[in-house]
Amino acid sequence: MTQPKLDAVLIDEETLDLQELASACAVPPTWVVERVEAGLLACSSSAGEMRFASAHLVRARRMVTTERRFDANQELAALVADLIEEVEQLRRQVQTRAKGARG
Amino acid sequence: MEFKEYYKSLGVGQTASTDEIKKAYRKLARKYHPDVSKETDASARMAEVNEAYAVLSDPEKRAAFDKLAQRRAAGQDFQPPPDWDAGFHFSDAGSPVGDDGDFSEFFNSLFGRAARARHGGGARAQMRGADQHAKISINLADAYHGATRSLALREARLDESGNVVTAERVLDVRIPKGVKEGQSIRLRGQGSPGLNGGPAGDLYLEVEFEPDARYRIEGRDVTQTVSVAPWEAALGATIEVPTPAGRVEVKVPAGSSNGRKLRLKGRGIPGNPPGDLYLELELALPPANTEKARELYQTMAREFSSFNPREQMGA
Repeated sequence: MTQPKLDAVLIDEETLDLQELASACAVPPTWVVERVEAGLLACSSSAGEMRFASAHLVRARRMVTTERRFDANQELAALVADLIEEVEQLRRQVQTRAKGARG
Repeated sequence: MEFKEYYKSLGVGQTASTDEIKKAYRKLARKYHPDVSKETDASARMAEVNEAYAVLSDPEKRAAFDKLAQRRAAGQDFQPPPDWDAGFHFSDAGSPVGDDGDFSEFFNSLFGRAARARHGGGARAQMRGADQHAKISINLADAYHGATRSLALREARLDESGNVVTAERVLDVRIPKGVKEGQSIRLRGQGSPGLNGGPAGDLYLEVEFEPDARYRIEGRDVTQTVSVAPWEAALGATIEVPTPAGRVEVKVPAGSSNGRKLRLKGRGIPGNPPGDLYLELELALPPANTEKARELYQTMAREFSSFNPREQMGA
């Protein structure tokens, strides 16, 4: 049977609102608000409403996972997310330089 | 259906205390953390460990699982007996460490959302399905032009008789052009089905680029190496280059050196604004494999006798 083709929407062109981010992370909205207010999770603002892009979604999911798996407090989970982001960036740089060196 | 040996997954005995289970889980969660683990099957092992912990860390689920394990005939294909969970009540809080969607058919048929709905008794409240997450690999050309990909997802649902069944669902997904590495894309209503007529959740796909040695990608900017002949670099030339954006004609300025970057504005990954495409010149030397070619190199050696390619090294 032919499947209908589903149109995917790029997050960033269409950002997530608070409820959507919370739902995507399987947490209550208060979890998100607490971390935004504590400066652990960034968001953009539109007409006074919190909006979240792809990078925020990935970071929030990492923080949820760390908090749940290791009973970590929110600051520690944010620190782990910072370090993972740093590692990712350094890995990309290493890969770029390795390719550059190979030509 | 395969019976899951949850105690074995966590490397603990059946008499392990809650504390021992937690310690074993955390140790394995560090080992198989997908962002840092060097193990090749880290994601699969992490899902297995999460699933085991979701059951063994919950006293009700653990007790029901233990009872089920006692009644199981070794080596046989497993089907849960109709009354396997009589006397137990599972919370509807879901898993503490992962999505039901990541878990096995065995877990979903016993403890997943659909199974909880089956045992929900009189509670018939509508509930939105959970959002699901998956990764999808595309290549750079897909990011430039858009693409359609087929995705196979496993999901647990109740059949007409109220039994939990796990079925594979195939989705054809149209990915819009302009997607960047690490970006998420959303398919509304394609997550886990809702319960009691509730709406389905959404499906989020995190985009990964397939490795391609020809390109280096930073956000929407793309760098590509282009081979040029020494005379093209020295004298300047108009060359035709196949790029992810299609074939382009590029003017190589006279006096270009190896490694020089030419920027093609707006020819990177499409978007608002689009990225740039950088062509990094790489000198390709003709082989000295004929008498004529060797003569030409000898002429160059004579004519450029004062040229020192290792000057910067102090040679």
